[in-house]
This record gives sequence, C-alpha cells and structure tokens, in this order.
Amino acid sequence: MLFYIREIMQILIIILQIAVLLGVVLLHVAYVTYFERKIIGHMQVRMGPMIVGWHGLLQPIADGIKSFFKEDVVPEQADKPLFLAAPVICLVAMLAALAVLPFAEGWVLADINIGLLFIFAMSSLASYGIILAGWASNSKYTFLGGLRSMAQVISYEIPMGLSLVGVMMLSGSLNLTEIVTAQENSILSIYLFPQAIGFFVFFIAMLAETNRVPFDLPEAETELVSGYITEYSGMRYAMFFMAEYIGMMVMASIGTVCFLGGWNGPFAIPFFPPFWFILKVYGFLFLFIWIRATLPRYRYDQLMALGWKLLIPLALLNIFLTGLFKILVP
Amino acid sequence: MKVQYKAKRNLLETIFQVEILQGMALTLRKLFSPPITRQYPDEKPPMYPGFRGQHALVRDPVSNDAKCIGCMRCATVCPSRCIQIRYHDDEKGKRFVDQYAIEVLRCVFCGYCVEVCPVGAITMTEVFEYANYDRDAIQYDKEALLENWDNFIDQAGYDESYVNPFWRPRGIPASALPASQRMNVPDDWTIEGQFVGTKVRQTQESDTLTQAEENNV
Repeated sequence: MLFYIREIMQILIIILQIAVLLGVVLLHVAYVTYFERKIIGHMQVRMGPMIVGWHGLLQPIADGIKSFFKEDVVPEQADKPLFLAAPVICLVAMLAALAVLPFAEGWVLADINIGLLFIFAMSSLASYGIILAGWASNSKYTFLGGLRSMAQVISYEIPMGLSLVGVMMLSGSLNLTEIVTAQENSILSIYLFPQAIGFFVFFIAMLAETNRVPFDLPEAETELVSGYITEYSGMRYAMFFMAEYIGMMVMASIGTVCFLGGWNGPFAIPFFPPFWFILKVYGFLFLFIWIRATLPRYRYDQLMALGWKLLIPLALLNIFLTGLFKILVP
Repeated sequence: MKVQYKAKRNLLETIFQVEILQGMALTLRKLFSPPITRQYPDEKPPMYPGFRGQHALVRDPVSNDAKCIGCMRCATVCPSRCIQIRYHDDEKGKRFVDQYAIEVLRCVFCGYCVEVCPVGAITMTEVFEYANYDRDAIQYDKEALLENWDNFIDQAGYDESYVNPFWRPRGIPASALPASQRMNVPDDWTIEGQFVGTKVRQTQESDTLTQAEENNV
C-alpha cells in the first residue's frame, strides 16, 4: 500500500486543482451573467439588476438558488434519455475544454501537445448537446434551433480551424503553452499583428461558435421562443447557460493564448502570474457583451454567406500569406 | 421628389465596417451616461397638479362630513355611470345625502365629476397606489371616500383647505363658477394657462379683467 501513496497524493492534488479551477470558473460564469446584464443595461441607459444586494451584486447567487430549486419539467413527448443528457453533454464538453488552457507559466491542468485540437473537439462536442436538445425536446422551435445550430457549427468550425492554422504555422506547435512562449519574440510579443486577418476571421467565427449575438440564431428569442432551450427549465436550463458562458470564456482564452500573447504582459505581476491572461479574457468578454448590446441578429442566409463566402477564403488567404512569410523572411 | 440615400461605402469603409464601429461607439458612449430608470417603489414618480388619482369626498372641516349636496350633477355627467347617490328630502325641502358610491372599476378617470361639482365635494387625489386583490375593496361608499380624503391629507401633508386648480373647469371665468370653486389657491399652483378664481364675490371690473386675462391665455 505504501508504494501507492505518492500516486494517491498526486491524484488528490490534481482533484484539488480541478476543484479550484471549477470553483473559480463557475463563479466567473455567475458574475459574467451579472456584468452582462449590468453593462447591457447601462448601454441601453437602464440600470440592470439593482434589487438583490448592493447594486444587485448578489443577483447571480439568487438566480442560481432559484434555478436550483425550480421544477425540472420534462415534456411528455420528449425523448427522455436524450433530453436529460443533452445539457450534461453541453456542460461537460465545455468544462473539459478548460483542462488544457494555460492560465500562466505552468498553470495548466493538462499540458497536452494537441491542446488546440482538443479544444476544437470539445467545442464541437458541445454543439452536439445543442443539437440533441433540439431534437429530443420534440417541439418545432427547439428543433429549428437545433438545426440552425448544426448548420452554424459546421460552417464556422472550418474558418475557425483555418484561422488558427496561421498561428500553428508561426509557432510550430499545437500545445497552447508553446504557442504562448513562441509569441515572445513577435511584435509586442503578440501574434495579433502578423495574424491580423487570422484574428479577424477567428473573432467572427468565435462569436458564431459560442452562439452569441449577432449570430445567436439557434436561440433567436424573437423567432424561436428561445430555440433549443425552450423546453428546458430549472437546473438543466442553467446548465445550458453555464455551458454558453464557459464556451465564451474558453473561446476568449483561445483568442488570448493564440493572438494576444497569453499570460505575457508589458511587465510581470508578482505573486499572481495569470494577471495579464485574466485581464485579456475580461477584455474579450467585454467585447462579447458590447457587441451583444449593439448589433442586431444576422439573417440566416447572411450568416451562411458570411461563413462560406468571406471567412473561409480569408482564412485560406491568411494561410497562404503566412506560408509565404515563413518562406521569405527567415 | 428626390430621395436622399446614404453615400455608398467606399472600399476602406467596407473592409473596416465603419457602421458597426459607429454603432459600437454609440453604445460605449451610452455606457457612461446616467440611466434614466426610476426605481419605482423606492422612488415615486413626480406628481403634477392635474393628476387624476383615487377618488375622495372632501371632508368639510365645519360639519365633519362630506360637502355633497346631492345635486346629482356628477352622476349625470359621468360617462361610465359609476357614481350612485341616494338621498332624501325632509319636509322643509332640505336634502340629505344618504349614500354616495363610486364603482372605481368602471371609472374612466375623466374627472368630469370633479369639474362639475358645484361645491367641490368630489375630488381626485394624487393617490394612485390602491390596487387590491379584492374587488369589493375598491368599490367606495361614502365612508370609504371620506376616509380616502383623510388618508390623502395625512400622506400628502396638505392641510384641510387643500384645493387644486384642476378641480374646476378650465376656460370659464371665475364669475361664472359656483362660489365654492372660486376659492383662493396658492400662487405656486397657478399654472400657465390656468384660470384661478380670486374672490367669492367679484366686482364688474375685475370680472372684465379676468375675461381679458383669459383671452390673453
């Protein structure tokens, strides 16, 4: 038994790390919803939540308690196992993507060499949850939402993957930590300038991937009640929400890692190495919210045209230019 | 007619999506502007003098009862016929109002009853928060209407002689009004375009003067 103590300790330490990461991320999810409501409120010259706590600061906690104790309604005609599994698939896939994110030098749960591919895989898996939710609810609105989500994910996975190929070519790695370290000898130690086109494509594809305005067609509340989550209630509804916001954070983190230089900043912050990383992710989240407060929803054919006719050619052009750059410059 | 279209975007504007950037600049600017929200239950809306809120029968400080004389003008003028008055005349011909009931659920809050009342008995207060789960609770009888007045006077902090210039018909010279509606009201209630009576009995000159004032308005 004594031989295994080291192994057991390691597993315990990893479990502890996972618990801390989950706690921090879920707390962030709760407060991102609060800041989203607050910021959109103020952008629309309203106040946002004001009642629970000082300026509504306890609102996310109240929301959490409410959704936890609400009845979990399952429609009679629903495909029950799938209906119950869909939000779990969504949430688990998104949470799994967190494992490979490097928050700072060495602050990563699983430093695997295919980190970027893993995140792509997980974010596509999360859209299975959405599609299954749309199918299993057995209602026309959810089904339409699921269909839209499917089409949207297929058309935006491609430009997203292609836009990051440039980053992979420059850094020569799929490992997120190595991508960050490879950026250190770039301009301002970020890939934003050599990969400006890639960043543009990535940013738009990122909005579409996370089903955010102006690409929120799967849950377009003005057309489809609320799309694939129409039939969900209580905790399962909250799980979809958490998955959406974790997805936002994961995508913001990828944007930070691949284009904005990860944890590297103008100067090092002692005792808290992920400071710059977190600041950049917050910047991305603010941008998400800002865009949501500003732009109307794209029409369905515009969404498809933008994805296939603009973003994919642009991403291919970016790959070509990056390759040319790699050949000519060094 | 020549339709003025927006100038077509040039290539640079298309690439950088200037319209989206303009929109985002607007929302960012509004982020720092003060919100116009009124936090209602904590922050009441401002009351304007013409507000037509909850009905009340003015309690006469002398008789400690309603001023109503049972002339039936309010019940007659009421477009939704929500006022019911019961009275009896004694042998000398003096009229006693036995009951005065307003069915608030039918009231359209036009305020005609207030304008037409020759003695200023029925009024509309500034109270508007009297929603109730019970229908019967907002069918006011005479006692309830007098109580509304007392509550209003208590809450709003006015004294018993509170009079509102909007409680009388507009555009009619003071001399043409019944005596009770010619009451003095404080100057700060005299709103532009409002014609407020001054004295109970007026001379001929002041009558013409008020007439001229009215024409100016």
